[in-house]
Amino acid sequence: MDVNNPRAATVDLPTPSVGPPADTGHVGALSKLAPEPARYVLNWGRRYSLWVFNFGLACCAIEFIATSMARHDFIRLGVIPFAPGPRQADLMVVSGTVTDKMAPAVRRLYEQMPDPKYVISFGSCSNSGGPYWDSYCVTKGVDQIIPVDVYVPGCPPRPEALLQGILKVQDKIAAESLGDRYPGSPPEREPLRKRLSAKALLRPLIGPKDHDDVA
Amino acid sequence: MIVQALGVRTVDDLSEFGTDPWWLSLIKAVLIFVFLLLLTLFNIWFERRVVARMQHRAGPNKNGPFGLLQSLADAMKLMLKEDIMVKAADRLLYVLAPVISVIMAFLAFAVIPFGPVVDVPFTDRQTPLQLTDLPVGVLFVIAVASVGIYGIVLGGWASGSTYSLLGGMRSTAQVISYEVAMSLALVAVFLYAGSLSTSEIVNAQQRLWYALILLPSFIIFWVSMVGETNRAPFDMPEAEGELVAGYFTEYSSMKFAMFFLAEYINMVTVSAVATTLFLGGWRAPWPLSLWDGANAGYWPVLWFLAKVMMFMFVFVWLRGTLPRVRYDQFMALGWKVLIPVALLWTVAVATIRAMTLDGGLDRRVLVGGALVAVLLFLLLSIVGERAPKEEPEAEEQPFDPFAGGYPVPPMPGQRLPRPEPAGVVPGGAQPDQEDDTARRSATEEGD
Amino acid sequence: MAEERVVGVGAGAAGFGGYDRGGGEPGGLATQDMVLNIGPQHPATHGVLRLRITLDGERIVGCEPIVGYMHRGVEKLFEVRDYRQIIVLANRHDWLSAFSSELGVVMAVERMLGMEVPERAVWARTLLAEMNRALNHLMFLGSYPIELGAITPIFYAFRERETLQQVMEEISGGRMHYMFNRVGGLKEDLPAGWLDRASAAVAAVRRRVPQIEDLIFGNEIFLARTRGVGTISPELISAYGVSGPIARASGVDFDLRRDEPYLAYPELAEEGVLRVTTGEDGDCHSRFGMLLEQVSVSLDLADACIARLRSLPQGPINQRLPKILKAPEGATYCWTENPLGINGYYLVSRGEKTPWRLKLRSASFNNIAVLPEVLRGCVVADMIAILGSMFFVVGDIDK
Repeated sequence: MDVNNPRAATVDLPTPSVGPPADTGHVGALSKLAPEPARYVLNWGRRYSLWVFNFGLACCAIEFIATSMARHDFIRLGVIPFAPGPRQADLMVVSGTVTDKMAPAVRRLYEQMPDPKYVISFGSCSNSGGPYWDSYCVTKGVDQIIPVDVYVPGCPPRPEALLQGILKVQDKIAAESLGDRYPGSPPEREPLRKRLSAKALLRPLIGPKDHDDVA
Repeated sequence: MIVQALGVRTVDDLSEFGTDPWWLSLIKAVLIFVFLLLLTLFNIWFERRVVARMQHRAGPNKNGPFGLLQSLADAMKLMLKEDIMVKAADRLLYVLAPVISVIMAFLAFAVIPFGPVVDVPFTDRQTPLQLTDLPVGVLFVIAVASVGIYGIVLGGWASGSTYSLLGGMRSTAQVISYEVAMSLALVAVFLYAGSLSTSEIVNAQQRLWYALILLPSFIIFWVSMVGETNRAPFDMPEAEGELVAGYFTEYSSMKFAMFFLAEYINMVTVSAVATTLFLGGWRAPWPLSLWDGANAGYWPVLWFLAKVMMFMFVFVWLRGTLPRVRYDQFMALGWKVLIPVALLWTVAVATIRAMTLDGGLDRRVLVGGALVAVLLFLLLSIVGERAPKEEPEAEEQPFDPFAGGYPVPPMPGQRLPRPEPAGVVPGGAQPDQEDDTARRSATEEGD
Repeated sequence: MAEERVVGVGAGAAGFGGYDRGGGEPGGLATQDMVLNIGPQHPATHGVLRLRITLDGERIVGCEPIVGYMHRGVEKLFEVRDYRQIIVLANRHDWLSAFSSELGVVMAVERMLGMEVPERAVWARTLLAEMNRALNHLMFLGSYPIELGAITPIFYAFRERETLQQVMEEISGGRMHYMFNRVGGLKEDLPAGWLDRASAAVAAVRRRVPQIEDLIFGNEIFLARTRGVGTISPELISAYGVSGPIARASGVDFDLRRDEPYLAYPELAEEGVLRVTTGEDGDCHSRFGMLLEQVSVSLDLADACIARLRSLPQGPINQRLPKILKAPEGATYCWTENPLGINGYYLVSRGEKTPWRLKLRSASFNNIAVLPEVLRGCVVADMIAILGSMFFVVGDIDK
């Protein structure tokens, strides 16, 4: 925004704070309580339906588009590009140089995405500042403002590199448990327990185990 | 009650409906629900694959056989997503809007006939392949579709975001305009069929499809049904380039999924209505109809589905090929072309119908009348051409070099005041000269 | 082009006495108008341009492009890079025309050094620059329809891009940032058989580009949305220093390749291969058509260069450079016709191995500066059509 124009600065949202993200929101009761086989199925669903929000900033955005085009076509993998907005996206690909002026917007859009969300940092600039490592206005790595799951190196990386990055994210999703990813997120629910009878409470700690302690 | 025509038992009378026992109605309702869900999953996959083929791509193919499970994965993922409640949102309406949308989308299918009267397996009952029918069945579909739009409008309004609001606003105007054209297109069908009930309209098309007799109606209906479902090229409410995602910009998780579901079911619904009203419903198309058994038993469901999928393919085809129409042009198409044409056509059909029913008419009179009408129309369109309005001359305006708070150059019609160097270059060298000297020294050095 | 230089090279804000920055009439925005922030990240801006748009209903009454989201301080970084390293940054500000941008830097340095470039290098540079121009335009030929809602043409455009990128990558190792220019020539000689492959690629692209034209250019809806929309008058073009295909679409017949020739363009112009096409209407449609024509001209030029390179005798393709390259004291301004418009480098050296100042005049900045004038009075849907037809690269605006 134009800081010199006092009239201009009225419609902006407050600047989000910079730091590791607070545990916001909840990811649905299913994910926390799901037993192992169900979790496998649910992870399968999440893994093959990654709607991408392309944070196209610079040169890498063109390679991102190239990846979605006919020759490389990551839509094969269930990655749907050009998700309408951050609210519908699962995966954010930060492709390009994040400047200090842009950083709050990156952060805000990340926060607008619903959990569980993943971030691929695509290209040297968003990994570490890249060729702008000594610039006065470039954020040296997007991981300073949002957590990054997969880094794809290159300047710009080839489309194949992005495909590999997406496969890495998919592997990561397949292996994870949402409860572990968001440890504090849903209010800790006590596992459902059957009510204990008074007799069970009075049962000696050591002794022959009786099976009717649960009423 | 049940006529035996060509070996097919069709519903002759609306009293056939409402006689099913409760369990049969329940089974039918559940079947329709499941059918629509599965069809939506299939349609999303279908759209992606077909568009992909049009774009030299493969489309989703890693997930299940031919990528068929892709939309299932999408659905499961959306269920697991965080449900965001926007702070600025009107809570009740924000939650209610997608629900309205999706319920109304499902409701319309209650009166769509899938087939003739069939035997219910494992019983000796007979029942039409249709949940129910009303004397005003088609009106019911239109009414339900309009209520479904409330979901979009309310969703856009309740989100508390500018993009959503604009998306919602657009869809209000869009639906109001296109509903008129759509209904007018149907009037001709009602006149010919003599009924508003879907099953009777299908019966009336035994010999000839209305798409052939009432071609203009069919075309108007087709165009307005694309507009009604907010699909490309009329997808203004969710114009990705302009309004991010339109009315569902702020929706996530299941609420978004409901909007998504409603959109695809609406496509199926209008396709089914078009099939029923214009393409002979579940009746087999011509070469197949030569086979006697084609319209008996459960076969018609297949023909019905094929016709619906044909419309779906056209939807996808349009999306793959056409750019988006601009909003005002779209409105102009609706109000200035579709509605007048539909009105004229309705009047013409009514006249012809009335004359036919009154006991025949002279063909020559008809042809002559049509000729006169066409000539009048041409004459009107020639006279109606008006010279474009002259642009008012741009008047000389005082030049403000910092209009809007940052330096701007003089516009055409404005004059640059003599720049006064702000003490940078004493002696008053003009910028032009400065640049020239720099350029000259540059070229000298270069040589 | 006197006025253009006043605006573009930067007579700057210092020249206007009596006005403070941020002046103007107070209270410009009426309260009942809606203020819509397009961007910084919005699908339509393909990049991070932000527009603050004041709406009255769906009609735009005011527009303010807010730039700087992609400002990477590249001019300051130029001052701490030597002349080889500068090329890295020079081809990244306009990422769609990397080769043409690095060309400006090396030509400025060569001019300072008084260095003669081998003939083979001149022709090879011309060839690559024209292929780069085709690549750039193909990107916009694909992205503009997508902004108007037609999703398919971009896939066709990218197929052509991939074809050209393949030969570009073979020669330079980069798909976008070629780093193939060196002061005094090119990095390496052309690989054996490369010319054949390049010519095959050019032929393939020439054969298939009409498909894009067929897909979208004559489409009724496309015509309705672009004809007469966003018309820019030649006066407005000169007032804002707009250049490149946008200026030519408005009928401003100015092309540095012909008017201040560099590389092998004089000879190509003489042969009649270099045609400078101009439009008349200056609307979105003619701007899009301009790209289509320029692609075919570029492909013709590329073919001519290939033919010429085949006939040239073997020889060096670059000059031997000293270990430490120092430009002599002085200043020069070198401008080239980039795909998007005039790209100028004002190089001031104090005889050190890094420039004292390297000012960059980028095409997109001026092209986007005219936006408020064009947008006023349009509807939101037109805004997208106009914005997309201004053919800008955000990095080129913000540097």
